[in-house]
Order: sequence, then C-alpha cells, then structure tokens
Amino acid sequence: MRWTSRVRFLFLMPAVIWVLAFTVFPLGYSLYIAFYKIEQKVEITREKVAVLDENGEPVLSKSGKPRTKNIVHKNEVSTSEFVGAFNFKRLLDDPQVWSAVRVTAIFVGTAVPMQLGLGFLLALLFNQHLFGRPALRAVMILPIFATPIAVGYLFFTIFYEEGGPLGFLGIPFLSNPGWALFSVILVDVWQWTPFCFLVFLAALQGLPDELYEAARIDGASAVDMITKVLLPLLQPTILIVLLLRLAEALKLFDIPFALTGGGPGIATQSYSFLAFRTGLRFFDLGYASAMAYGLLIVVMIIVTLFFRRLRKPMDNVRTRKPGSTGLGEARCPRWLPSWSR
Amino acid sequence: MSWQAKSLCCAAAMLLASTAMAQEYVKWNDDGTVDLMLGAEYDDTVITVKQEDLGGLFGPGEKPFEGAEISVTVNASGPKGGISGPLHAFRGPWEELTGGKLNIVELPFAEHYTKMMLDLRNGTGEYDAFMVGAFWYGDIAPQGYAYEIDELMASGDYPAWTYDDMPPSLKALHTWEGKGIGVLNDADGQVLYYRKSALENPEHQAAFKAEYGYDLPSPPATWQQLRDIARYFNGKNWDDHDAEPDSGMVLHLKVGEQGHYHFQSLSASFAVTPGEKVDQYHNVYWFDPTDMTPLINSPGHVKALEFLQDLHQTGPAAQVGWSLGEAWDYFLRGKSVFVFSWGDVGSLCQDTSRSVIQGDCAAAILPASEEYYDHETGEFVQAENPTPVGNTTGGSWHGVISNFSENPEATYSLLALMAMKDISLWNSQHGWTGVDPGYSYQFLESQGGTATIEQYVAAGWDASDVETYTQAYRDTFYADTMLTYLRIPGTFEYWDILDKNLSAAMSGEKTAQQALDDTAAAWEPVTDRIGRDSQLRDYQAAIGYEG
Amino acid sequence: MAGFGIPWIDFEPTLDNWISQLATPESARALGNSTIVAGCASLLALLLGTPAAYALARFRFHVIPNRDLTVWFLSQRVLPPVATVIPFYLVMRSLDLLDTHLALILVNATFTLPFVVVILRQTFMELPVELEESAFVDGAGYGATFFKIVLPLAAPSIAASGLIIFAFTWNEFLFALTLSSKNVITVPIHMAGGVDSRGVQFWFMAVRAMIAMIPPVLIALLAQRYIVRGLTLGAVKG
Repeated sequence: MRWTSRVRFLFLMPAVIWVLAFTVFPLGYSLYIAFYKIEQKVEITREKVAVLDENGEPVLSKSGKPRTKNIVHKNEVSTSEFVGAFNFKRLLDDPQVWSAVRVTAIFVGTAVPMQLGLGFLLALLFNQHLFGRPALRAVMILPIFATPIAVGYLFFTIFYEEGGPLGFLGIPFLSNPGWALFSVILVDVWQWTPFCFLVFLAALQGLPDELYEAARIDGASAVDMITKVLLPLLQPTILIVLLLRLAEALKLFDIPFALTGGGPGIATQSYSFLAFRTGLRFFDLGYASAMAYGLLIVVMIIVTLFFRRLRKPMDNVRTRKPGSTGLGEARCPRWLPSWSR
Repeated sequence: MSWQAKSLCCAAAMLLASTAMAQEYVKWNDDGTVDLMLGAEYDDTVITVKQEDLGGLFGPGEKPFEGAEISVTVNASGPKGGISGPLHAFRGPWEELTGGKLNIVELPFAEHYTKMMLDLRNGTGEYDAFMVGAFWYGDIAPQGYAYEIDELMASGDYPAWTYDDMPPSLKALHTWEGKGIGVLNDADGQVLYYRKSALENPEHQAAFKAEYGYDLPSPPATWQQLRDIARYFNGKNWDDHDAEPDSGMVLHLKVGEQGHYHFQSLSASFAVTPGEKVDQYHNVYWFDPTDMTPLINSPGHVKALEFLQDLHQTGPAAQVGWSLGEAWDYFLRGKSVFVFSWGDVGSLCQDTSRSVIQGDCAAAILPASEEYYDHETGEFVQAENPTPVGNTTGGSWHGVISNFSENPEATYSLLALMAMKDISLWNSQHGWTGVDPGYSYQFLESQGGTATIEQYVAAGWDASDVETYTQAYRDTFYADTMLTYLRIPGTFEYWDILDKNLSAAMSGEKTAQQALDDTAAAWEPVTDRIGRDSQLRDYQAAIGYEG
Repeated sequence: MAGFGIPWIDFEPTLDNWISQLATPESARALGNSTIVAGCASLLALLLGTPAAYALARFRFHVIPNRDLTVWFLSQRVLPPVATVIPFYLVMRSLDLLDTHLALILVNATFTLPFVVVILRQTFMELPVELEESAFVDGAGYGATFFKIVLPLAAPSIAASGLIIFAFTWNEFLFALTLSSKNVITVPIHMAGGVDSRGVQFWFMAVRAMIAMIPPVLIALLAQRYIVRGLTLGAVKG
C-alpha cells in the first residue's frame, strides 16, 4: 500500500470532478449572465391530430365527432447582448440592496454572537451537572433538524400578537420593523444555540479532568478559569463554530420567507431573499447574478480570513481524552517506510 | 426515476385515500338532471344540474377525456381553503364525468406568479391552467401564453356559463382585446362591512353627536365620517362578546400579500379626478397616460395614505403583520366596528363556527372622500356631493388555460364545470370557498339579478345580511366612476414595489410622502426595463385612453 | 371541522386534520418525493464522497496538499446557495431536467458531498491503519482492502452521515422551490403552500409543519451520537 499510488486519483477524482462540474461551472455561467442581457421568448404553434385506437382507426366521441389531441410545438428564441459591468453598477445605488445588506449585517452580527455566547454559557453550566445528558442532547437536536420553513410558520403562530401565547407581552413581534428583525433573530437563535451548546459541551467534555483539578488547586477564580484556560483551549472549536454559523447566517432565507415575507416593508428582507426575488420572481437574471456575486465575494473573504486557522483544526483538533484513538495524517510518513519500501 | 416515484406515490395515495376512492360522485337521474356529489369531506353536499347544461360531451358512461391528466395551479390552502377548496371539492365529480385525472398544484401565495411565469417563459408546459389573479394578465395575455376559450364556449360541448352574467367591469378583467381568456369563478371587489347594532345603538348615537357635532350616519357616506366613527368606537368595549376593549377598524396589511389593496380601494376617491372621459388628467390613477410618469405620489395619493395611517390608529397595532384571515377573524369575533375587504367576509359572517356576528354583519359600497385631487389644476377640490368610486380590487381569482397545454379541452371542461350557475352560486354562498359574488344569479331580483333571499337562507344565511351584502356588491361593480385596474406587463412588480413601501409607511418606517416618492422612483426603472413605449401603448389600451 | 381560525382561540386539536391532510394525493406525493430525493441524493453523495474521503485520509497529494483539498471541499459547504440557484436553474432548463427527481438529486448530492468528504475523512483517519496494512501484505488490492476492511469498520459512521445528509436534503427549501413545479414538489414546498390568499391557515399549517418536521428530527435522533461531529464537519467529536 503505497501512499502515492495512482489509485488515489481513482478514489478522489470523481468527487472533485463532480464538485467542479456542479459548483464551479454554474458560478462561471452566473458570471456570464451578469455581464449579458439575456432575453428569451418561446413561440407556440398548436396542431390538432386525431386520436387513433390500437387499429389506427380514429376514436369517435358520443356525438360522432372524431376525438382530437393537441401537439404543441415550441420554438425558443434567445438573444443575448453584452452589457458590461452595468449590473454591478446598479448594485451600488440600489437602496433595496443597501437595505438588504444592512438587514443581513444586523442579523449576522446579532444572531451569531448570541448563539455562541449562550451556547458557551449553557455548556459551562451543564458541564458540571451530567445527569440526564442523553435526554438533553435529544432535546437539543430537535431544533437543529426541524425543517426551517416549518419552524418559520410555527413561530408565526407563536408571535401572533392578538391572543397568541406571547400576546400578553404586548410586543409588536411582527408588525414593528425593528421587532420583526429581532423576531427573525430570535427564531434563528432558538434554532442554532443548541448546536453551539452541543459542540462546546463536547469540547469541554474532551478536556482532561486534571485540568479542572489543577485549576482548583491553584485557586483560580471561575472567571480566570474561563478566560485564561478554557477559551484559549477551545479556540479552534470556537473558530470552526463561528465560521459555520457565519456562513449559514449569511444564507438567511427560509425564516424570513415563512415568518415575515421580508416585511414589514423590507425590514427583514435578507440579501439572499432579495437576490432570489430579483432573479426568479422578476426575471432580472443578470442583476440577480451580480447580486449573488456580491454575497459570494463576502463569503470568500470570510473563508480566506479563516483559511489559515481552519487548516490547523482540520487536522489537529483532538477533544477526546488522551488514550482514545487519534491517528492522523501526520502518522503517514512514520509508518510508511517501515513496510512499503 | 419517475416510475419509482409514481409507484411509491400511487401506493401511498391509494392507501391513504382508499376510503375516498371507493366513492361515487355523479348520478344520472331519469328526469334529465345530474347529481354531483361532493362526498363526506364536504358534508355530503349534492348539487343538481341539468344534464343539457353539462354540454354535449358528457353522458352516462361517457369518458370524453379518458386518460388525460391535467395540472392546475392555485394559491394553496388545502381542501377547505379559499380558491383551492372548490378544486378539491369538484375533483371527484369532474374525474368521474370525464375519465381524466386532475393534479392540484398548490403553491404559496408569493410563489404562484413566479412558478407560472417560469413555466410560461420557458415553455415548459408543466401546467395546464392557472387560477390567476387578473393583475397577471399583462404578463401572460400579450405574449400569447393564454389559450383563447371563445370557440370552446360556443361549441355547446362543455358545461354552460356566460360572460353575460358578469358586470362589464368584471367581464373586462376576464378578456383581452375582446377575446375570452378567463373562466368565471371569483369576483373581487372591496366593500365596507359594519356592525349595524353598534352604529344604530341610541346611546352611542347620542354620545357620538355630543362629541363630533353631527348625527352618526349608518353606514357612513364619506371616509372622513368613517374615521370619526372608528375613532369614537376604538378602545371602548362596545361589543359584549368579551370584556376587552374593541376597535374601530381592522385592516390586513401584511407585506407580500394583499395589504396594498386597502390603499388602492381607499385612495381611489382621493386621487382619481372624475371626468367625462379618460384623458391625461381624468379617470387616471396609476400613470400619466401620455408619458408613463407615475402618478402614485400625487398629492391625492399621499393624502389618502396619510388618511390610511390615521385609520390604522383605530385598530390593533398587530394588523401591520396580518393577512386576510387574521383581520377577518378579528371582525368575525366582534372586535371591530368596520372592516373593508372582499366578499369572503360576508359569507364567513354566516359561518357560525367562526363568526359571532351573523345577522349583524351589514355591508355597503365604500364611502367617498370629501375632497379629491384635481390632476389638471394641481389642487384639492371639495366635492359638493361626494360620489363613491367602485372597484374590482383584488385578483378575481379564476382559471386561465396555458397555451402550452396539451389538453386545453379537458382543462376547459373542469373550469367550465366550476363556472356553472348552480355551482358558482353554491360556492359564493359558502365562505370557505373563497369564491365571492358578483354575477347576476348571485344578485337578488330587486337588484336586477335572479337570486332570491330564500336561496341564501336555505344555504344558512341571515336574511338581513343578504340584502345589504348583495346590494353593496351590486353598487360596487356597477359604479359610475371605477378605480382603473392595472393589467399591463410588469403589474406584479409595480404592485410589489408599492406593497413594500406601503407596508413601510404603515409600520411607521417611512412617511406617506417618502413611501410614495420611493415607489414612483422605483417604478421608473421597471418601465424602462420593460420598454417605455410598449408600456405606454399597453397602458393606454388597458384604461381606454381617449386622449 | 375544527374552525380554520386562530389557534389559542378556537383551535381544537383533532385527528381529523391529520387524516384529511394526509388523504390528499398531493400530500402523499410530497412525502414520496421528499423520500426519493433525500434518499437518492444521500446515496449518491456517499457513493462519491466515501472514496474521496478515504483518499484524503490515506494517500498523499502533492500538487495541492491534502489539507488544502479538504478545506476546498469544506468551502463548498459555505457557498451561498443563492449564488448558484440561478445558473442551476438555467442549466437544468437547457438539459430539460426541470421538475424531475434527477435535478433535485443532483443538486442535493452536490451540496452534501463536501459534508460527506470532510466528516468521513476524519473517520478514516481514526481507523487503525494496521488492519489495512496487513490485508495489503496478504495480497489484497486497494479495492479489496477498501471494500472488505475499511468500509465495514467505518459503516456506523457512514450510515450516520447518510442519515444526517438525508435530513439536510429533506429540509432544503430554496432549490426545491426553484426546480420543482408539480411532479417533484417536496414536503417543505408543499407545507409553504399553507399560506394562501387569506394568509396563514393555522390548524392546517400546524399539521403540515408537524408532518414536515417529524422525519428529519426522528432521523437525527437515530444518528445523534454523530451529530456534533457531523455538524462541525468532523472538527469536533461528540
């Protein structure tokens, strides 16, 4: 078993080619759309032909008329015209775009820290008390896997202002622009805090018991313990959770779709929502593609920022207690020479 | 893949629907009538029609569309929901009559138009018909996407119905350049519903007069009177169905749905300058018919929106996020003096499972404004005799056959079946169907129609509600001045922009002026993108511009 | 029937709603579609992703180092779907695949593939290599080693990833909304249909929401031991 055998390509390439074909190619195509104005039209002609039975005889109806069926001929005419960076220029002075950027930024900037913070605090709390954890984990999994669109509609009934279960609070959950955005954030926090909690709890559980022991002997305060010991140790985990949540939060679409329809006004119209509406509701395909590219660039910047840090945890995060299996790539060179040469 | 899909689905469907499948839906009687039986889900309703009215293609054992499978899109709300309900209800009888199979494609309200347009623009031809809103016509009719039905209608082979039963204002919404496209189903227009018992309560009348200095009119003739009344009642517990304070007005203002219609119906009498003919200044509402400049931010429109913001203060604050259902429910639970909305409210008032106000659910044409804006002089005019403006606000949701359909005849037979007089009347009398009245056989004899109060009472109505209800619709659809209905390409997008800005204005994010200025500014690029010249031509044609 | 009014006010929980909801052929079909799409997409993603994950765990690549390849796969997961939905739509249209199961399966397999690669790579790295070595010494080829030794050992983890991506695919909304028109309407799209021209029909929504949510949640519970690792793409073990 040679670790540079050509067989490795046989294993790897199908997946690589697949991803290239289905993501890189569409992205390239999307760029083309953004620079061209594409018009399509379909011309229709209709032909009536007699319905024939098995013997090739025309089928007659009760009144003796031959039955007919329709064959529809379609002729597609498409034209495309180069428009240069026109669609990208439009982005800059479209108030709807800036509003969507603002909505998405507020959402990401509020929801993600809340999820991480709450998740971490809960994890600290439950790290001490271990009873009932399997049940707790089961309960925490529910929101993560609940169909987002269904969650949106369920919260619509919960936020119902006249006589809903939270109606006594007198809060305009969905009718006030500020509150509506906050409601969207709340739903997302409800759905994703458990995720952060589960991950942080797992990471905390993975730290050796001696660590807590040593800290106790040193007489470290709880705050010191958290800021000086736990946070630095968990940094790789926090980073990966942060990246995943950032990326997911930037995609925000389902919840406002179901909960507010982007309203009131455009107070909860996220960037993805706007791009979707522009392209697939109003068929301004070029402009929508340009919009999508704007988001893509932001995501790429974030991924690049994380890239170096991400490579490390990809290999090195080991949260299990020492002694559990933990073979990594790093071992390859060590074992290979011994038998394959 | 699809055979697996089919077999799996069929198995599941058959398992689940096996009870329903064994059922008989059509009975041919000896006296020349046919019983259409809707089944247990619909309280075993039987609608009897004349055999000859079903058309020449149908008869016992005849299956004229054996093997045809058609798909119809509809705003989704299930087997007992608005507009989609009747499709479910009449699926059984139609399938038995024709031997065909009906797929009901329920689509989210906000996605229905999108799905339809994707299908039509790409020529995919997945759908045979769409239960459209009339404001979509501009995007389907001029492009030749809609199948013309005049020939099928005249053939006598199909269930009988006629455009002649429609008021001219509604007929116009179902045709394009004189050719029939839409099949009769729903008739939309907004009227005022009011709680007669509250308005005619002597105590309140006296207190109102003391406060506002004039007699409480029932119903109000002007919007300004209506606002006074709504203010007077708001916050008082004038309805004793519960111990909480009640409201003056309730509105459905949720963005992305049908909130903007309130503004359209209300602003008509503020913003339309009445006149003899349709010219640059008179009887226009949306655009300047000489150059497509938006009129939507004219002082008349702005004043109307400010008025609507005022009116909003006399209702629950939550209504900014409410769809029709929630607002109607509020009224039906006796929480509000007024609601101005579609015909559904009148028929839902009769549904005692959700309404506590049967018999106290009066209706009238919408009031008029005391002042209107004159586009020619640029000034407001105090109307000596404010005349109400009629409207066909809404979708008048009905079937249009796709030109890509391979089975237009089969599809038409379904739509025509639901357009038959007896079925249409039954639909309009039952609130859950979402089918609203507007046709001659739904108006009473005293109103020039053919219906009788007894027919409505037999369907569970309160007699006094019937009279004002049908009269309100009769007045609304036959009014001298009508709000023009926008049916040009891009209407959906123009209205979407308007809707978003109105929602922002109603939630206090923008002022009325700002919201409408923003609307006008955002309309211009849409016009340019579609083509200003072609838009101008279509707009002039749509409103009957006479220069 | 229980009123179609507002919950908390006149909502009466009854079994009728469930029955009448499930009895429409459209509901049954949506459930069937979701099952087919999620099942096939998961299988396809596993089929492509498992060998790639193995390659990244056991072999060494030079031109692009393994770590970078892994992060490249991971970054696909981060890609905003709205950036690809329009081109995907146009491509599917020109291939005449709109409203087919195949289109949804291809799309969902693509989006879940990186997930499979990254988390299974971690699993393979944790398997003791000694077994593979000895099999190889005994004369088994790469294929035999992979299928006979590695796959059985990694089976629980592979099954768990399959379940998790099944749930992801089940919940997917944007692509299902765009690429389906009638034949392949999935459960989330069908349930979004609960908002009609009159707004949300509460009882009806609640039932549809439950029908939509129960399968993915149950499935996730089955795979719960692997959830943390799965959702952090193998970076954190649970």
